[in-house]
Amino acid sequence: MMTTISETDIDIDRQIVCRYIGYSRDVEPSPRIASLLDEYIENAKHLIEPSYSYVIKNVHEVNDNCATVEDSVCFEGKVISKLLDRCDKVAIFVLTIGGRLEEIAAQLADDNMIVESYVLDAIGSSAVENLAEFVQGIIGETAYHRGFSISRRFSPGYCDWDISQQEKVFQALDGHSSVVKLSPEHLMTPQKSISGIIGMAPSQNDVATYNPCKTCEKHNCVGRR
Amino acid sequence: MSEDIISKLKENVIQGRKTEDDEGIEEDLTGPGVIELTQQALDANIPANQIIMDGLTSGMEVVGEKFSTKEYYIPDMLASADAVGAAMDLLKPHLEKSGVAGKGKFAIVTVKGDIHDIGKNIVAILLKGAGYDVYDLGIDIPTEKIVEYVKNEKPDYLGLSALLTTTMVVMGDVIEALKSAGIRDSVKVLVGGAAVSEEYAKEIGADFYCLDGFDAVKKLDALQAA
Repeated sequence: MMTTISETDIDIDRQIVCRYIGYSRDVEPSPRIASLLDEYIENAKHLIEPSYSYVIKNVHEVNDNCATVEDSVCFEGKVISKLLDRCDKVAIFVLTIGGRLEEIAAQLADDNMIVESYVLDAIGSSAVENLAEFVQGIIGETAYHRGFSISRRFSPGYCDWDISQQEKVFQALDGHSSVVKLSPEHLMTPQKSISGIIGMAPSQNDVATYNPCKTCEKHNCVGRR
Repeated sequence: MSEDIISKLKENVIQGRKTEDDEGIEEDLTGPGVIELTQQALDANIPANQIIMDGLTSGMEVVGEKFSTKEYYIPDMLASADAVGAAMDLLKPHLEKSGVAGKGKFAIVTVKGDIHDIGKNIVAILLKGAGYDVYDLGIDIPTEKIVEYVKNEKPDYLGLSALLTTTMVVMGDVIEALKSAGIRDSVKVLVGGAAVSEEYAKEIGADFYCLDGFDAVKKLDALQAA
């Protein structure tokens, strides 16, 4: 149900991992951490099992606080409504790097190898973000062939889109999310998974540049784009 | 002899070398690491509290300074704290035997419904490295189990972790359950996690909000000093 891709399609950017583990831009880690990073990035390539799934649905009706798509799934939230109001279609996706990497990271923590666990977890975060970029590229290409441009990615938990809306995302995926499970608290397992939507609008529309962060007052938000 | 061991111990804490097999910040550093040197210090009959104060704590103070001046980053700090935590495990029975009071017992847990553990692990290791007696209760732990633990094991501090808005509400449930069990005042409750804020901590009646592990150490140490 989910498309599996080769781990070699997913880059693990050492610079990004360095930032995730707390280094400022352009700061090279100490030799010990640097060699740990190189070793674990190499090992992680054998631990990730990337897969993804997406469906494209028509946007039916949009009001201030709710956007209804095909099959009557309603995404609630002002930002999402504003986004989908500009869109004819929406791609709903889920992706994951699988559970092996986080199992090993948890095992390292249990074995008191905290630095190693911390580094491996950050590598996983970088890998899943890169996978999201990869999937966004595939959706973008599909959209382009249909004469559409695409928006940024939005996931439950972004802006005013409540995390409980994960249920709606999974509902809209019509079961195309076999590898990723949703807990009653709306957490995904494996943890290194991303779900969300990408709006699709006729190419002349300005959907690609729509960025709610520009008018948002949460200036310290970690997700600010 | 004693001074030499303690000074080497301090240096190895700064270098983050837990064992003799570990690399330090400086590549060419070899010889015994923190665990071996702590054992050497015990064998030389150096009192456990002196090993802690002059070797471990003194080394961690330098690490803290280096972190604040951005000479060290989180992984370097974690390596040092991890080494100190391992040394504390070795020293614990000796401290208990000599009747020296530690900084206190700290139970840390990720609340029910939440499975995130990296943040909790980092806080735990930093507290252990700062000299607290840390007990990690795990992830996704039911409220009643946490209350039962507090009732039976009587920790001085309880750290509650939750990453998301959907699970941080459980931290409030834990505090209410502690009240209902009549043991709220027996423990200081610290809360933290990505979605948690100072305001939310106040709203649910926690004693402290901690931005991260370093903040937790700072707040607890300030409380100890008061």
